[in-house]
Amino acid sequence: MAMIKVDHLTKTFEGKNAVNNLSFELSPGKCVALLGPNGAGKTTTLRMLSGLLKPSSGTVSFEGMKEDGDIREHIGYLPQYPVFHNWMSGKEFLVYVGQLANLTKPQAIEQAEKYLDRVGIADAKNRRIGKYSGGMKQRLGIAQAMIHSPQLLMLDEPVSSLDPIGRRDVLNLMEELKAQTTILFSTHILSDAEEVSDDLLLMHQGEMVESGSIESLREKHQTTKIHLTFRENVDTYLNKLREIPSISEGYIERNEVQLLVADIDQARIDILAKASSEQWPLIKFEVSRVSLEELFMKVVNQ
Amino acid sequence: MMQWKTIFKKEMLEYWRNFKWVWVPLVFILIAIMDPISTYYLPKILDAVGGLPDGAVFEMPEITPVAALMMSLSELSMFGVLVIVLMSMGLIAGERKSGVAELVLVKPVGYFTYISSKWGATLLLVWTSLIIGLLTSWYYVNLLYGDISFGALIQVIFFYGLWLTLVISITTFFNTLFKTPGIVGFLSIATIIVMSIFNQIFSHKITWFPNNLSSHIGDMLDSGSTSGELWGTALVTIIIIVALLFASLLAFRGKEMAN
Repeated sequence: MAMIKVDHLTKTFEGKNAVNNLSFELSPGKCVALLGPNGAGKTTTLRMLSGLLKPSSGTVSFEGMKEDGDIREHIGYLPQYPVFHNWMSGKEFLVYVGQLANLTKPQAIEQAEKYLDRVGIADAKNRRIGKYSGGMKQRLGIAQAMIHSPQLLMLDEPVSSLDPIGRRDVLNLMEELKAQTTILFSTHILSDAEEVSDDLLLMHQGEMVESGSIESLREKHQTTKIHLTFRENVDTYLNKLREIPSISEGYIERNEVQLLVADIDQARIDILAKASSEQWPLIKFEVSRVSLEELFMKVVNQ
Repeated sequence: MMQWKTIFKKEMLEYWRNFKWVWVPLVFILIAIMDPISTYYLPKILDAVGGLPDGAVFEMPEITPVAALMMSLSELSMFGVLVIVLMSMGLIAGERKSGVAELVLVKPVGYFTYISSKWGATLLLVWTSLIIGLLTSWYYVNLLYGDISFGALIQVIFFYGLWLTLVISITTFFNTLFKTPGIVGFLSIATIIVMSIFNQIFSHKITWFPNNLSSHIGDMLDSGSTSGELWGTALVTIIIIVALLFASLLAFRGKEMAN
């Protein structure tokens, strides 16, 4: 069952489609990464989902929401560069936005304390936000998005601007929050997406190029690769290897023979039989899978 | 209503932390007492400086208490209005420009709640400053020029406050249209100047135009009774204020909160 349904969403800026005919569904309890290079339309998509931008055409519908309902009640949103009232303390700001999200003051205070602790900036709660570091602001941003326990948490490039430690902390935090809410986050870094998300939506130039669970995408675009290294010049063996019918493609990269194969079991038998009978000076035989990174590059470079 | 109070309180806290609660009343006091006091002491100042040639007779016209109090209003209409516009030109535009609005308006806050609570907060600050400023001026006028009743002062504050409320509403309206505080400030001032020019040309025909509030207040102080003209002008001003707030909402609805 879909929690949020995006139907033929299009956004046009000055005659150019920033987002073009985008349709997808999110099911509850999933962590979904919106992946794409810079300028793919990720931010525009998130802003339309959060109601900050009006779609040029198409609809966003939230499950269980009335016709005239306010989608903002069900979502939490962290912009790419969150800006706060710098003269407020972290806690004051959280209580403020908590009350704006229709919590009573005691509830807002309780939630604020809870999330300050949860995102790990409880020590700095009474300090002015103006004095916070970038990482702390990012965490405060996540806390303010979660304050009213939304059903959908949307994060725009939550880790892109952070140093490796901050990045790790925020990814861990997202991992924890997964249990509590559905997460949709955008990123242009594949490894971040692979790390925390269940599903991928791959965007390029405003359009959806691929979508599905990480596993299914891997499987779908999987080609197995065999790497062979020889003690002597590899050129002579490449031609011999190409004669084997189970090998679809072969080339040399970094002094290594790389073979793309469809049926790995058959290919292994064929290669090893030939190596054994012709006594090849083989020093390495390795099987690897084409990574999503390569899929990402392939899609983006099309 | 709870959200309205939340934003209103946050504005109050902000005015407190950036000292608006201190400097705006002080500036209003200064603007209000400047003219009555300096005019009163002018002969003495000239005497002390000795700038007049021997034998020259310098006669100051007799200034009535009403005229003295009207000096305060006339200075407020100039500098007070300028202070209000400069102070509130970033009311909404500033938050949208910096990006805080993106966090605030992604919470389920009604646009009218957002606009009117900020408008209301500015209103409280300006009215408080106006009351303090005119009270101080009234005190000096009573001391230096002669009596004006407290009842009359209350009426002056009420009717003149309407004019300043209109100024705030004009600035609020431009705040919903543009994201750059400088443009908001410029257009607000320009609008007020155009209104004043319009008033100078047509004041004999359209007596209920808001810019006439001051002159009607002067008539009221002179005659001691509130004329139908004053009430009419007040009513027109209130109608324009309401219309401006409504227009602000429409303008804001049409805007996209992110760029």
